[in-house]
Formats: sequence, C-alpha cells, structure tokens
Amino acid sequence: MAVRPQHVHDGGIVERRLRPIYDWLDIGNNKKALQEAEKVLKKSPTLQAARALKALALFRLGKGLEAQVVLDALADEKPSDDTTLQAMTISYRESQQLHKVCMLYENAVKSEPANEELHSHLFMSYVRVGDYRSQQRAAMALYKFAPKNPYYFWAVMSIVLQAKTSEDNTKRGILLALAQRMVDNFISENKMEAEQEARLYIMILELQEKWEDILKFIESPLYSQLVPGSTAQASIPYLKKLGQWKRLNVVCKELLWDNQDRWDYYVPYFDSVFYLMKENEEDSDSSIDNTAEKCHEFICQLVESMSSGRTLRGPYLARLELWKRLAVDGDPTSLIGNGLALCVQYLRVFANKPCAVPDLRPYLGMIPQKEREEKCREFLTCLGFDENSEPESADDIQRHISCLAAWRLVAAPLSSTGALELAATLRGHYMRCLQKGLVTSNITEFCAADHYGILAAHHYFYAGVEQQSSAPIVEALCLLELVLHHSPANFHAKLLLVKLYHLLGNAVAADSIYQRLEVKHIQLVSLGWLHCARLAPACLASRALQLLADTRAFLKHHGKDSVEHLTYAYKYGTFEKLVELAGWAARLEGCGWGAAAARDQALLAQLAGPPALLHQPSRLPALPTDNRDLNVIVNYEPPQFQDDNLKARTFDQEVSYLRLKDALVSAIALCIELADSRPVEEKKGHYEQLNTCVEAFSTAMEKCRQLYAERERISISAPFPSRIIAFVNSPVPYRELYATMLRLVGELAINRTTAAHDACDAVARLLPKAQLQLQDEIAVKGDPVWSMRDRLESLSNYLEFIGIITFLLGVCNELFSPASAKKSKKKTNHSPDEIKTSELLNKLNNTVQTSIAFLENILDEWPKYEANIDEILAKLSLDDKYQSPVENKLKTGRDDMLNDVRNILKRKSKYLKSLLQ
Amino acid sequence: MTTIRPFTCEDMLKFNNVNLDPLTETYGLSFYTQYLAHWPEYFQVVESPSGEIMGYIMGKAEGHGENWHGHVTALTVGPEYRRLGLAATLMNILEDVSEKKKAYFVDLFVRVSNKVAINMYKNLGYIVYRTVLEYYSGDPDEDAYDMRKACSRDVNKKSVIPLTHPVRPEDVD
Repeated sequence: MAVRPQHVHDGGIVERRLRPIYDWLDIGNNKKALQEAEKVLKKSPTLQAARALKALALFRLGKGLEAQVVLDALADEKPSDDTTLQAMTISYRESQQLHKVCMLYENAVKSEPANEELHSHLFMSYVRVGDYRSQQRAAMALYKFAPKNPYYFWAVMSIVLQAKTSEDNTKRGILLALAQRMVDNFISENKMEAEQEARLYIMILELQEKWEDILKFIESPLYSQLVPGSTAQASIPYLKKLGQWKRLNVVCKELLWDNQDRWDYYVPYFDSVFYLMKENEEDSDSSIDNTAEKCHEFICQLVESMSSGRTLRGPYLARLELWKRLAVDGDPTSLIGNGLALCVQYLRVFANKPCAVPDLRPYLGMIPQKEREEKCREFLTCLGFDENSEPESADDIQRHISCLAAWRLVAAPLSSTGALELAATLRGHYMRCLQKGLVTSNITEFCAADHYGILAAHHYFYAGVEQQSSAPIVEALCLLELVLHHSPANFHAKLLLVKLYHLLGNAVAADSIYQRLEVKHIQLVSLGWLHCARLAPACLASRALQLLADTRAFLKHHGKDSVEHLTYAYKYGTFEKLVELAGWAARLEGCGWGAAAARDQALLAQLAGPPALLHQPSRLPALPTDNRDLNVIVNYEPPQFQDDNLKARTFDQEVSYLRLKDALVSAIALCIELADSRPVEEKKGHYEQLNTCVEAFSTAMEKCRQLYAERERISISAPFPSRIIAFVNSPVPYRELYATMLRLVGELAINRTTAAHDACDAVARLLPKAQLQLQDEIAVKGDPVWSMRDRLESLSNYLEFIGIITFLLGVCNELFSPASAKKSKKKTNHSPDEIKTSELLNKLNNTVQTSIAFLENILDEWPKYEANIDEILAKLSLDDKYQSPVENKLKTGRDDMLNDVRNILKRKSKYLKSLLQ
Repeated sequence: MTTIRPFTCEDMLKFNNVNLDPLTETYGLSFYTQYLAHWPEYFQVVESPSGEIMGYIMGKAEGHGENWHGHVTALTVGPEYRRLGLAATLMNILEDVSEKKKAYFVDLFVRVSNKVAINMYKNLGYIVYRTVLEYYSGDPDEDAYDMRKACSRDVNKKSVIPLTHPVRPEDVD
C-alpha cells in the first residue's frame, strides 16, 4: 500500500526529509526505510511524522513490539498533522488495530475542530470498524461546517445501516423514518443532486416497503432529471410488488416494442399476463394482454416486426417460455402448437449460433420424456443432417454440432456400446475436419469443429462409467489432448482433461492442464473444487500444500482489503454498492472452501510440510458459504439426470467434512498446548477441552457414517463424491485411531499414567489390524486403472493418519522427556511407571514404523497405467508430427506421485527413529 | 435474448465461462470492487435467460477539461455468445452513460493483433487515434491502438483527429 499522503502542507522542508523514507517503504525495502527514519530522527528527534514512519517500518520488519512502543508514545501526544496521522493509520491497519485509528482522529479533531479533512478521516475510521452511530455523528458534524451533499448522505446512510442491523423492530422503524425525513427535507429544499442519492432514497423506502411512494418518486420530474430515461424500467419491480398487473402489462409491452431481445422485460410481461388470466376479468381495454391468445398474438407481432437484418432470439424464446408457463396447468398445443415442434423450430432458425443449445436447454425438460425420446431424431435431422453427415463449411459444422448436441440432450441414454459407437463416429468427424483444414482455431479462439471432440469425450465418459472401465476414458484423454493441441484456447477441453485425469487418479497429469487454465484470484475459490480439492486425495500432498496456500493467501489478502472498499463507496457516494460490498466481504469471509483449505493445509502440513508447529486456522464460520461455480463444465445428459439438489447436497457433505477436520485440527492444537511445561494442575482446563473435542469428533464420525452411507453417482460436470464418504465408510477404524491417539496425549499431559498406558497400548493394537483393513480397502477389484482414484483416496486417508500420529508421537516425546531435560544431561532415575511409558511409546513408535514399511511395500506394488494406448493413437494419427502426451503423462504422473509419497514416508520414518528413547 | 443489469460482486463467482477465454484477464479482486464502488453505472453484465453470464463491460469516466471522457477498461463476450451483437449492446450502454456524464469522447485500448475487435470498434464508429508502443507486456511486448469515438459534446470532433506519431505508454494519461 502506498504510504505517501496525497497533500503535503508544510511547505516542503519536512517533506524533503521524509521523501527517502517513503521511497524505501514504497518499494518494500523496510530495513532501509528504518535506517533513513533513524537518520532523520537523529537531527530532529521529536519529528512526529518520522517517528510514525519508523513505527511503520518496524511493523513491516516484524518488530511489532518495538513499533507499538513508538506508536503508543505518539498517540499520547495527540498528533494532528496529516502526514503523521496517515502513517499511523497504515500501521494500525496493518496490525489489525482499527479501533485505535478512531481514537487517533477523535483526538486530532479535538485539537483542530475546523479541519474538514480530519473530520472526514474520522468518519472513515468509524466506517472501518463498522460503528454506524459514530459514523452518523461524525458525518453530521462534518456537514454542519461544510454543508456538502455527500456528507449529509453519509449521515443518512449511517442511519440506514443502524436500522438494517437493528433487531428491535420499533427502533428500526424510527431510524428508517428519520432517514426518510432527512431526505424528504432535502428534496423539498431542492438539494438532491445525484443519481446515487436518489437510489439511496429508494433503498430507504424499500426497507419500509413503501412501494407506492417509490413509484411516485420514480415518476417524479426529479427522478427523470437525476436518472434520465429509465423511469419505465425502474418502475417494473414496484408495479409487481403492488400487484398493478395491468399497468405492468402496458409498461412491459411498450418496452418490448423497442427492445425485442430483453429478457428482463419479457419475464415481468409474462408475470402480468398470467396474473391477469387468473383474475379472469372482462376487460374492454384491448391494449392489455390478459389471455394466452392475446399474449401469443403479441409475441407473433414482435416476430413479424423484426427487420430483415438480424433475427433476434427474444421473440422466439418468448414463445417457448409462453408454452412452458401454459403447460404447467394444461396443454397449450391447440393455441401455439406442439412444444417439441417449437423447440425444433428454434433450433432450425438458430442452429448456426453456438448459443442455440444453451438457449434451448431450459425448455427441453418441458417435453414429456416419452415424446422427447421417441422424436429425438427430429432435432438431429431438422436441417437435413444425421449423425454421419459431413458438413464442409464452418457455419454448417456449427449447425451440425447444435443438432447433434440437442439430439443427445433429449434422446434416451445409450448403452455403453452405443455410446462408444457414437463417440467413435464423432471422433471420426473431428479427425475429418482436422484433415480437411476445417479446424480453424487460432491461439486465442477455438472453433466449432472442436465440439465434435468434446461431444465424443462426453460419450467416452458415459461408456467408461457404465462399464467401470478406464479404456474409454483414455480414448477421451487422447482425443481431448489432440483437440487442445490444435485449439490451445479451448477451455472446455482443458476443463474436461482436468476432470478426466482426476477420474483416473492422476493428479500430476491434471495439474499439467490446470496450469494452462491460469486460474487465479477469485477463481481459486470458484474453481478450487475442480483441482485443488482433489490433490490431497490423489496423494499429491506437496502440490496440494502449494495450491492451498495460494487460496488462503488470496482470501486473507481480501479480508484485509475489504474494509477499504467500503471507504471508497462512501467517497464516491455509491450507497447501493456499499451494502453489496459489505455482503460480499462477509460471504468471502465465510467461504466454506476457504475454511476447508485452512484445515487441510494445517493437517497436510503435518504430513508433507517442513517441521513446524501446527498453525491453527481462525474460527469456523457459523454458516459457511458455497462459492463454487458448478456450471463451468457443460453437461450433455438428458433432463431426467439433472440433479437440482446437487449443489446443496454436495455442499452439505463438504461442510460435514469440514467440521470433522476442524475438530481434528482443534484437538491437535490442544495437544500442543498441553505439551508445555506448566504444572499438571494448570493443564486441567485444556485437558477437559481436548476430551470434549475428541468426543465431538467421535460422535460426528458416527453420525456421518449413517448419513453418508450411499455412494454418489459420478457425473462429468459435478464435483467428485465428497471425501467424507470414503473417510467415514472406510473399514479402517479412523474414529478409534484418531480418538485414542489424541486421548493418549491428553492423559500423558496430566500424568494419568494408567489411562495413558491403556490408550498407547490400544493404538498399538489397532494399527496392525488397520493395515490389513487398508490392504483390503485398496485391493484391486476389476479394472485397476478405473479404481485408481478410489484406492488413492483410501490410501491418502491412511497417509494423513500416519502424518498426524507421527506428529503426536513427537508431542508425547516432548511431554515425556522434554528437550530442556535432555539438554541438562543429568541422569534422572525413572520410576517404574515412567519406564513403562517409555516402553509403550517405543512400541507404538515401532508399530507406526512397521506401518510405514508396509505402505512402502504397497507403493512398490502400485499398479501401472496400462492401456492399449498404441491402438488408440493409431486412430488419431495424422501425417503430422504430433505426439500424444497422454501415455507419458499417465506414467510420469504415477511415478512422481509415488516418489512424493515415498519421500514423505522416508522423512516420517527418520523422524520416528529419532524419537526412540 | 438478454437481461442487461449492473454487474454485482457475486457475478465474479460465475464469470468463469467468459473469463477462461485467453484474451480476458482475470484481475485481482480489488480491481473489480474498486470499479464497482467508483463507477457502478459503467459496469454492466448481459445475462442469458438461464442466468449464465454472456459478457460484461467495465469502464470509467476520467480526465480534465476537454479530456473528460469515458474509458472502456474491459469488454468481453463468452465464446458461446459471440456474433449476437452483444458487444455492441454493451458499448452502447457505456456510450450512453458517457453522454449523460457529458464526456467529450469514449476511448479504449486494443492489441494491434486483435483484428476482430478492431474491426468491430471501427464498425461502431471508433477510429484509431494513436498507437501506443509496447503497451501490453509479454514476450514480445505488443503495441496498442488507442481508439476513440467523439460524444455529442465534442461538437467539432476535436478529440478524434488522429495523431501522426505513436506515443510511449508513459505519455498516455
């Protein structure tokens, strides 16, 4: 963040002396900045601005305590010059002490009560801490001696925010009435002058549900002066609220005559028609559409009125929408014809546009499944194509693609043989296009013919799932890599490749494509489910740690930034956005994936990170938010497979998993707390907390095992089944393993030796059994490549346990023979109990090492990706020099993953050996 | 078939089908929120009936005196929704807003290699005002065209008299 203040008032001498400090701070060289500040302070030791900058440099150097001392001393002097205050504000902001900024400016304003800028900073300091009442006070004070509109509306907005957050309805009413009165006064004095002020007024009226007043305001000359040309559109939501359907009908019709493609006008138009139909009132006013016939007539007029130039989709889609709405209560066929025929007609007109099929999607479900499946070929053949047609022009290829895609979206699902045949045909089309130069993609744009490859990949996927076989998936991978090779911009191919490499459990290969998607910033949150969340269960812990860290860094950075955006919204008077930005900040703060990433990172670091203390994440959000974009991968399954519940259900599973992981992280953090050198008596509190935590974890595991017993269907566009399913249903008794191990640490910490011995013994006995159970869980049944993903996920659960038990053994070691005691080299006489503890811990340690050796054996025997890749590639070969990367990616992906795991295990083993007494 | 509405924060969670396009940059979060907080009327989205984002435009008003103008920061339409005239619709909105703000002209920067976009802007009445050398960093750096269209306030169309010499990025205000 740039530190330099925008205006400097001191005529330059001080500014000149401070300049080098700013320069160093701006380029991030805090050490030099500190030296420079010291230099200035040598000459003028009391110069406040230099001291403030020194404090900032100290903070940024991680010397928080020293910085705080400087800051506290400065604050006591109650500075009021801008340079000092701004530097101090940044220090407070960066050290999360925003309340102190308020105090700083409160004092400054007292010493310079007529300084407008200081008042404005005071207001912003309240904005940053969300103190709406003080905001109101500061804004009014500001307005009193600088009567400018923005200040007045800052006060109004501060009142609105108090009302919005008030739980007391009476108080809320009074506050809103006050806010309204303040704006009313302003309007009557002709002082309102900005669009955003008008919008704030509407917001106030909305919160009081004064719909009629809003309409009146929108229709006033003042509103058209402030927001020219938008009265009709703005009135739509309020006419709806008031149930003024006739007026709404007229308004929307007028708007539609001029804007035949505006869906946001069609929807309220239909709403009005359908309400008026229900009212069934005889109406002599023929201009109002209150019957299906009139509505249909209107849409036909719109179709006819279109100029010959560009055919707009609007009126055509409106007819489908009318059909859909009428079909809810009857059969509209006699009025507007058959629904399927309408869809086919739409396709016929717009098949040359890639949007034809996405447009049709919402309407295909309205055709009865039987009719849909019987007449599915009408979609394919409506333009004279069939599945074997070989169009020669880009336009015709697009038409063919649209017809093929629409056909597949309505047809009955194919058997696996049928799907494979169709996939082969589609692949043939792609290869033909490639040969004939019809693949016209360039580095930034993909082309229609690519879609043959994409559709083929989908059908290979269906066949693979149906047969539980990896061979069709490998065919899809080879084809998609080829498509991507010729169309490097085709992100559909990239998304499918990521998905399909993960389907075969090859996270390294998936990563090679994911990197080409250049996912960053907010996409880390909306697309994280696609790749990052799959790395750990594919046993790629080290790469998972990197990506989890990126995700966390993004969210953390935004958390710090978000209050600043609120100050911008005040500065520019965008009151509507203020509410939105605050909601957005809260949404991201509660991000479910962000919370999961923090816990995954903490736990995985125990397995694969460098030795470090567990970093406990901030508290779990009360209501985690779902920020995943599940629509990014396009789906070609028919409507009966559409799972409307998918997003909610999968998120619910993720949240349950998050809570389990949270309990584990909290328990481990408590174990660390318990390992310090306090007397046993003082540890009782933590001990109790640990027991509660372990209890909660056990109960939750049991509950989840009942809740998530079913296996989820695998779909190409949905996330893979949540990790919770494999975890709680595993034959390996993770509940007992984790709970007992955590209890061991607790008992040891408060010297309950017998209980500790029992727990230690219990884990040591559980582990060899767990090994056998794991062996059973990951045994190859059927196609070893098809089941690779599941088996790796099972293995990853076990690996994560090994990471944690190893870490906890380290904690036990610290408890039993602290490093400080070792250093003293004094020979102490151990009691028989202590000797037994030592023996039992050693025994458990050896058992874990045996487990690691067992895992190493498993890795040595890990199945390879064996597919008839040459045969597949033969079908994809052209005369060029293209070499398919699939075989190599699968092979090296497997090898890299295995090496990663081996290295981790080696490190764990070494560490365990070092703990042996 | 289009819903036109102001861009909201939550749209950032579903603009992947547009932003995964290689010529569309995904900026840091605060870049978007700053535009939303400062110029919300300049940040509009076109949405399909099923709620998918088809494209969006992001812009601002800046400059002093006769340089007061509307600027197109980003204009993008998803691959599935191209050649429907959406970019023109979005540009119209931005020009309307600039007219209301009494701007003298609207301008934008475009890669000299992006022929499709340049042609579209020309069809919408934009001219190449000047070339900005090595404006886009990359390997190698690429020049930009600074394209302009006059608003009604610039009666004599002074703002759209092309410069004869290219400029460096640091000379662009």
